[in-house]
Amino acid sequence: MKLTMEEQDILDGSQGGMLQRVMATIVAYGEALDAEKLVDITGMGHFVIANVIPGISPPLEMLDSLIKAGLKTAYPFTLDPAAPLDHDNWWLNPEQIATLQHMYADQDSYDCRMQTLGLRDLQAFTCTPYQPEVGSVPQRGAILAWSESACVAYANSVLGARSNRNGAIIDLLCNIAGKVPLSGLLTDAGRKATWRIDVATEHRPLPQILGAAIGRTVLADVPYVVGLDRFLGTGLGPHTRDYLHELGAAAAAAGAVGLFHVENITPEAVDQGAGLLTEGYRHAVINAADLRDLVDSYPVLWVDKHADPDKCFLGCPHFSLNQLEWWAAEIQAGLQRHGRECLRVNTTICAAPQVLEKFIDNRQGWEVLSRAGARFSSACPMQAFDNDLSRGDAIITNSNKLRTYTHARFFEDKQIADIIVTGKIGRRA
Amino acid sequence: MMLIFKGRAVLPGTVEGHTLVTRRGFNTYASFFTSIHERTGKAVCADSDNPDLYGRDLAGAIICLPRTTGSTSSGAVWQRLAGWDITPRAMLFSQQIDPLAAGGLLVADMWAGKRVVTIDRLGDEFLNTVQSGDKISVSAAGQVVIYK
Repeated sequence: MKLTMEEQDILDGSQGGMLQRVMATIVAYGEALDAEKLVDITGMGHFVIANVIPGISPPLEMLDSLIKAGLKTAYPFTLDPAAPLDHDNWWLNPEQIATLQHMYADQDSYDCRMQTLGLRDLQAFTCTPYQPEVGSVPQRGAILAWSESACVAYANSVLGARSNRNGAIIDLLCNIAGKVPLSGLLTDAGRKATWRIDVATEHRPLPQILGAAIGRTVLADVPYVVGLDRFLGTGLGPHTRDYLHELGAAAAAAGAVGLFHVENITPEAVDQGAGLLTEGYRHAVINAADLRDLVDSYPVLWVDKHADPDKCFLGCPHFSLNQLEWWAAEIQAGLQRHGRECLRVNTTICAAPQVLEKFIDNRQGWEVLSRAGARFSSACPMQAFDNDLSRGDAIITNSNKLRTYTHARFFEDKQIADIIVTGKIGRRA
Repeated sequence: MMLIFKGRAVLPGTVEGHTLVTRRGFNTYASFFTSIHERTGKAVCADSDNPDLYGRDLAGAIICLPRTTGSTSSGAVWQRLAGWDITPRAMLFSQQIDPLAAGGLLVADMWAGKRVVTIDRLGDEFLNTVQSGDKISVSAAGQVVIYK
């Protein structure tokens, strides 16, 4: 890989041993990815590891060594959702609370270290930093080194920014160096579509099911999706953005999709159309039966497979303001349909802090859901429940991503609305 | 019979043993999410969507795969596995290594001092040929020999 004189100097230790080690890691990363050179990062960072949860977060000693060397990121960064320490919102028993408190005992000092390393502020915790209320919206063409697979997919596909699917820790190291290997989705060639996916359903498919089907089909390749404009229209309105952020999250979780193009909708597809397809691209058709088969293939991982649901988590990835309002209306209709006033299933709805603040300011939807007994959080159900802490809980969700990583059981939005109102899984489910 | 495949040594090293094979994407985070929370000395695959490996102990394994998939948290997962010495011994990719795996395995090597021998670009034929349980040897130059 060709390095600039400045990069080579850093690699030779001219700016200290710690930055030398950071640069050596990034150069090795670039060589593994066949990058011809490093390029400057030109926008804010977003990293997947927001919590000090053992086994997933970077070791504190590593962060300390970076801080001790006086290093910080080239641009401020946001982080994935905050630790689930707002216990009241998660319907936890005392043993679960004690376990979480133990797991996250070092959270404050972790947050402090992250601020020193460049965290934007102490409200910058969400898996949807690109929501306008949150305000970390990269420009088209911006060079990024993001992690959080759903964010990467959105930034690349919907915003037209450029980031590979970087893993935790290497994301931080790249942003400290302000450099990232020029490879994969950062290049024009890497952004070409190697798959054409035809959506051949009669009705608008659920985005988290279609996304999973696409992810399973193409794995890490770039798909060019045809047929969604029949349901979504052309261009990128707010509802289409919401649809695509759900689709991207599921595609990333089921496969490793970091970029998808949607004909007549996403920016590069609007500009280049089918010219985005490579020669010899592969082709798949996804129809309604495929999607039904996919859902039917999901195993029920509850301890008691026939239990009534205990808890419901919505908002993975974090909901937008429009989605919160949609769910308020949907749940209100469900309550009316069944002649009830309160939800029978303990339900938590997740969104970014700034989005929740706006939702509360808007009052109506928030009052509907609060009266029904729903609770709100800006934390992440995966981080509270991706372990054996709640193995015995019968959890339902509309998130295919959450289902992938936990024992939560997936249901479609309309089914969820009935289940949380009645407390029962109906025949349709 | 010996079948020889040549790949690229991303993290070179020599390994011998028996293989575990998945022909679908290896979801690192889903595979290891239980083993990173509780120290048992094992790394039992928890990815229920991957019947090839679900329930198998991946600690010390030689895993043959096309590439990795799933959450970008896996970058740090590798470091935890390294710290607890429950990583696989080798990751043998039929395709070019993906950024997620590259970043995680390099950080485990360069910051946690645990090398998982990593070979990529072994080709589709390698993955079509190798079966779970095959005896295999890996050279530092990236040559993989399957003993059938």
